[in-house]
Amino acid sequence: MVSVKPGEHLTKLTSKDDYIAFREQAHQKWETLWNGDATVVSVGVGSSSIAKGALEVLEQAHQVGGNAIIREVSGNGAFWMEPWIEVKRPGVDPILYGPLTVDDVAGVIAGERNDLAVGVRGANPVGEIRPLNEHHYFKHQIQLLTRNAGLIEPDSIEDAIARGAYDGYFKVLFEMSQEEAIAEVTTAQVRGRGGGGFPAGIKWESGRKARNNPKFIVCNSHEGEPNVYKDRHLHECDPHRILEGILIACIACGAERGYNYIGGEYPLGIRRFRKAVADAERIGLIGKDVLGTGKNVAMRVRTGGGAYVCGEASALMYSIMGVRGQPRTKPPRSVEEGLWKRPTVANNTETLANVPDIIVRGGEWYASLGTENSKGTKLMTMQGPSKLSGVVEVEMGVTMRHLLDDIYGGMREGYTFKGIQTGGASAGPITEDAFDRPIDFDSLSDIHGMLGSGGWVLFDEGVCAVDMARYLTAFSRYESCSKCVPCRLGNPALVEILDRIRFGRGSLEDLALIRRTSKYIIELSLCGLGQVAPVPLVAFLDAYEEEFRQHIVDGVCKCGVCPISADSRQAVFTEVAAD
Amino acid sequence: MVQPDHTHAPRPVPSPYTGRQEIDLDVVREMLSHFTYSDHEEAQELILSALQEINEHFGWVSFEAAEIVADHLGTSATRVFAILTFYADFRTTPRGHHHMLLCHGMSCYVMGSSKLVQKVRDEYGIGDGDTTPDNQLSVQVANFCLGVCDRSPVVKIDDEYYGHVDPENLTDLVNRAIAGREAMQASEVNHG
Repeated sequence: MVSVKPGEHLTKLTSKDDYIAFREQAHQKWETLWNGDATVVSVGVGSSSIAKGALEVLEQAHQVGGNAIIREVSGNGAFWMEPWIEVKRPGVDPILYGPLTVDDVAGVIAGERNDLAVGVRGANPVGEIRPLNEHHYFKHQIQLLTRNAGLIEPDSIEDAIARGAYDGYFKVLFEMSQEEAIAEVTTAQVRGRGGGGFPAGIKWESGRKARNNPKFIVCNSHEGEPNVYKDRHLHECDPHRILEGILIACIACGAERGYNYIGGEYPLGIRRFRKAVADAERIGLIGKDVLGTGKNVAMRVRTGGGAYVCGEASALMYSIMGVRGQPRTKPPRSVEEGLWKRPTVANNTETLANVPDIIVRGGEWYASLGTENSKGTKLMTMQGPSKLSGVVEVEMGVTMRHLLDDIYGGMREGYTFKGIQTGGASAGPITEDAFDRPIDFDSLSDIHGMLGSGGWVLFDEGVCAVDMARYLTAFSRYESCSKCVPCRLGNPALVEILDRIRFGRGSLEDLALIRRTSKYIIELSLCGLGQVAPVPLVAFLDAYEEEFRQHIVDGVCKCGVCPISADSRQAVFTEVAAD
Repeated sequence: MVQPDHTHAPRPVPSPYTGRQEIDLDVVREMLSHFTYSDHEEAQELILSALQEINEHFGWVSFEAAEIVADHLGTSATRVFAILTFYADFRTTPRGHHHMLLCHGMSCYVMGSSKLVQKVRDEYGIGDGDTTPDNQLSVQVANFCLGVCDRSPVVKIDDEYYGHVDPENLTDLVNRAIAGREAMQASEVNHG
């Protein structure tokens, strides 16, 4: 196994007082770093910035940095300013510069490149440079889960502790009973962030009450959707927060082992999380007799193999157990019979990442954020031709208009708005009619929309509705585990009908056929994937029926995307999308 | 061509892709020696991780390698192969000397990645998971997100990312990327 080494300087802490002393040290180290005489240069390194050369920038910073302290922090969610560097000069608030190239690094560190400055991390402007929080991308965000993003070194447990990591864990270990901890989570009304929206408190309570032992906690970090990267971002910027959430869940439910199942798509996130676990084990936050309390907690990291269906809880557990990830019929629910037939509580990464704050600041504080039925904040991502892109954290109940126009800066020049695909591959598009609805778990359901995992995909007039519906259906076809018949055979049938329409050989009866087939798949499929697989298609048909009809009746794809309009009505049938 | 290196050191992330590789079973055994377990349950949990590591190192997993994994973790080769053929990340045939990952996530789709998929098919006659007959190039169409969405559509050739890719220039881009890679490898052989 690619081993990640824990910090050599860390030693095992065996009591409450040991830990308090360690935390005090970490705080002092943090203060000295930011208030000392040294220049501190931080480079934002995440998988998105690596693709744009952040590692070369980091290397260059080491070369030309001189006496400066060079830190490798994570990305801050703002893709548009990557790669970026933050420079803290003695006595001045840190300034962020980006996007830059290797050649700019020396100038930036020397303070000669104010033209590249994006903002100041602090309340006051420095010269001409305004605070970063006044930038429209950051101004409307409420950063709870991501407050350490781009600030701490993800590989340093001391940085994390100095910024409040493990405070909640400490409280649960020494100051709270299991019931009290679960009560806070229940009061907070935090709902599952993976898309289902099931209240976490209820899940935990049934986990605690389960009589079978041992019990397990599983963190679902498998993000197989083709449109979302919030969990990857969390793993890269603050792995300790996720780990703390898992550990709190273990203590509160009386589970002896936590699992984090991470999709194989983000090696950097996996490495950083492994490092966090190694460090936490080293200082004795994980292991036998944690800080002298007599409690035992173990932690295992497991990686997925790129199967979307493994986001479904029972499939995920099969995948951990080393077999094909195919869902099973329920009941028994996983909280009664899950991993290795033991009671297992499975939560999404983002849900667990919310837990530390809930424990520290109380469930009532958390419940004061958000809307009536959906509390707290939500990580969201916007893709497609928006001006800016990246991960943001906003309060539940923002409107799409606010999100798109105020935060992401609206559409890019030269693109005309057509719709926004919601809920990944398991819901439909919304159009401008729904722009003023507050977004939460339930508010979009009547128009086939869904908050889901918070990934929005903006598409413009150049994207054909039939083709996009085909893309989404083909995704479900590809990802079907092929265990149950409706999903295994139904989705290919839908793709076939859509291809018929795309190639100009459709008939109006096909529209009715789509609806009928979809109905059977939705009603008869075994798991969540099959039950929602045709939803995007039906929703596209509802929203853009005119376009479907144009393909069939007039033989025209007005976007010029489908083969029907590209002089290829005689073209040999070739598959075009990912099969 | 560069000889595959036979030492298995922890790789930086993202792992550098060193071209088409034959699987050296001793390296596989060495890798597996790090996978220790205390009971049968844990052994089963390690199957996926072990395969993933082999797949990442060599670009694919052969039947012989799968057998070694099965032996080491106390299970059957059938079971290991069942996993290999279920999960999308695994390849059971070697990749080309150069490997192209074509992002087909939703962001890239909206910005026109289908045209790239079609272009690859027209130009090289290959689709997802295929390798050109001369073993030069293999293609994987990523059904997930590479996470560089502000530059979509994105293509990753070996371990370099290319953003805002225009189908017209794709062939050019591939040729340049391959040439650049080979020049780099040649200089590594000379100096390294």
